[in-house]
Amino acid sequence: MLGNQPSLSRYLLPVIQRFVPSFLPDVFRARLLSHQWQCTDMLELTLQVSRRWPGFIAGQHIHLTLNHNGRLITRPFSICSATNEWQSMRRIRLCCRVDPRGEFTSLLGTLNIGDIVNISAAQGDFYWQQPTKPTVFIAAGSGITPIAAMLLSQRHWLAPVTLYYRARGIESAALLQPLTRLAERNPLFNLVFSDSREQTAALFSEQFRHHCSDNHTQYYLCGPAGFMQSITAQLVQNAVQAEHIFREQFGVDIAPATPNAAAETVFNSTLISAGTAHNISVSTSQSILQSAEQQGLTPSFGCRMGVCFQCVCEKVSGQVRDIRNGTLSGHGREQIQLCISQPVSELVIKL
Amino acid sequence: MKLTSEQYDALAHQLDALKSQVKQQLGETDARYIHRVLLWQRLSAISGRILLVLGFVTPWLWLAGVMLLALAKILDNMEIGHNVLHGQYDWMNDPVLHSKRYEWDIACDAGSWQRTHNFEHHTYTNIIGKDRDFGYGLLRLSNDFRWRLRNLWQGGTYLLLSLLFQWGVSYHELAAQRVFFGKKKADRHSQVSDKDLKNAFFGKGARQLLKDYLFFPLIAGPMWLWVIAGNFLANMIRNLWTSTVIFCGHFTADIHTFDAQACENESRGQWYFRQMLGSSNFTGPTWLHILTGHLSCQIEHHLFPDIPARHYPAMAQQVQAIAARFNIPYNTGSFLRQYGTVFWRILRYSLPGGKVSTLNANT
Repeated sequence: MLGNQPSLSRYLLPVIQRFVPSFLPDVFRARLLSHQWQCTDMLELTLQVSRRWPGFIAGQHIHLTLNHNGRLITRPFSICSATNEWQSMRRIRLCCRVDPRGEFTSLLGTLNIGDIVNISAAQGDFYWQQPTKPTVFIAAGSGITPIAAMLLSQRHWLAPVTLYYRARGIESAALLQPLTRLAERNPLFNLVFSDSREQTAALFSEQFRHHCSDNHTQYYLCGPAGFMQSITAQLVQNAVQAEHIFREQFGVDIAPATPNAAAETVFNSTLISAGTAHNISVSTSQSILQSAEQQGLTPSFGCRMGVCFQCVCEKVSGQVRDIRNGTLSGHGREQIQLCISQPVSELVIKL
Repeated sequence: MKLTSEQYDALAHQLDALKSQVKQQLGETDARYIHRVLLWQRLSAISGRILLVLGFVTPWLWLAGVMLLALAKILDNMEIGHNVLHGQYDWMNDPVLHSKRYEWDIACDAGSWQRTHNFEHHTYTNIIGKDRDFGYGLLRLSNDFRWRLRNLWQGGTYLLLSLLFQWGVSYHELAAQRVFFGKKKADRHSQVSDKDLKNAFFGKGARQLLKDYLFFPLIAGPMWLWVIAGNFLANMIRNLWTSTVIFCGHFTADIHTFDAQACENESRGQWYFRQMLGSSNFTGPTWLHILTGHLSCQIEHHLFPDIPARHYPAMAQQVQAIAARFNIPYNTGSFLRQYGTVFWRILRYSLPGGKVSTLNANT
């Protein structure tokens, strides 16, 4: 209050940053110990985390913040290493898919050993809830990361576990080695790898159909949105109860929520930023955040996938749809997340 | 003075090009610059407050403390606060420097400022009846206003306003909405209820008063009176300085005012044209620019309010060249000369009559 800042650490931030470069409030510091390519497009970062970092449950993710040309950008990544590695050495590993066109992930390759990065506390409720029950893990692509952490962290195996891991060939399957070793050592753990170039999606899902007859089996899914949607639909068809299916979704796939909305529509909307009204056109083919940025506005943002709530703004009027699940909002005043909202009508939003 | 519609479009095109050219350069250098200003602001605030208490060693330390605290408040209000609240640094996504989060060391609530200044003043610059910053509803600064008896002593009103400037700024929106006095105007619409306006006004004002006149004196122990006096003086210096800078931006001799009806449906080029004619710059060394928050380049600020202000002096040369190309007067001069004409304007219009400066940009 004294410095007109929400906390003393915010007020002193410029002074602290003078002595501890790249210090940020409310996050934790971590030092990069090594980076190596797991496969063609997956980079594994090993981080030495600070003592203050409160730890994680296998399957959770963190938000990684980097400074790019004066701009702070943040993305979520699942921890892919075992919990005992953190307990004994305070190390965690992240497995990040690098998109050479992406602003953030292409930065990861330019980090140097010894660099300090900022990470959030671990979060997310995607973790292995009942290891005593038979479990089926289904992962595709980079969706393997939280699942690998769960499997590699498990010390006492009590029930049969099968992992169905689908990737575009062995050369682009991250973390396959440690998981294969685990399968060799552990009779209760069975690993089934599927090459998506050779095996069709239908054949892939055929493989785990036989688990569905046992109604104690739990299912953990992680992968691209489309993959998870179709797998979930098949499991439900095979009479698996919805509460036995646990999912973690990465990335926001912008798919039209209703079949006839495939055509792009543009709404003229008013975005009030710093007291000034900007009239911009907001397209249904992308998030409001993207539309605003393309037209020169700079709302605050974080993960860009609806997790971190940094882009929450007040919608004054109009209706939006949640990109992730198609939920429609009300028409009046309410808080919305710009990164996962697309317009359904003309909007007035206070940035 | 007016341009053809093709010329207005060309003007808009050239200024837009300049803006996007600078926008693409924004990056690490700007981030480092504003972080350094922020560091200087914090250091002068902290050392100033300590020196105020050390006044018992020698009053000179107290005086140095006053100057440092005034500097801190000026940096916070001008180069940091004003510019951050315009969204100039939103692209950095910084935890402190975002227009949505920043709150400054002044009686005025940041949200109220964004509505009255960023929106009203910057959109309707110098349109008589719409831009309440033209005379602040207190001073008669052009012949567009009917002369009243109270204008006779507006020189004194001006000095009083300057000394209490932070409170004037903070009360500005409540005066416009007639929250306490006067009849509501039918044509005024507000996004904020009177109750919220009052809460923001009293809340922020009380916080500032408690901080400067209760909390810091209390922790200063026996030096409490020195600290109260020092804080008061630092606030006065800041008030006088900010008011002086802001008056030099729109009330110098050659600025123009505009008629509300003529500005309806204006094009982007006409808006740029009005901003150039309604604002004035003054020249000076770099430190002066920084102390004014680069409002010494008021013309560039009004053309590009969301471009980080440190770029204005360089942009000014190009804006001046563009203005020359279209024969648009470019109002600049030394600080003293510009301020002299402001003072003359206040005195001149305290008497009836005066030159007509209204301009129709559209017709």
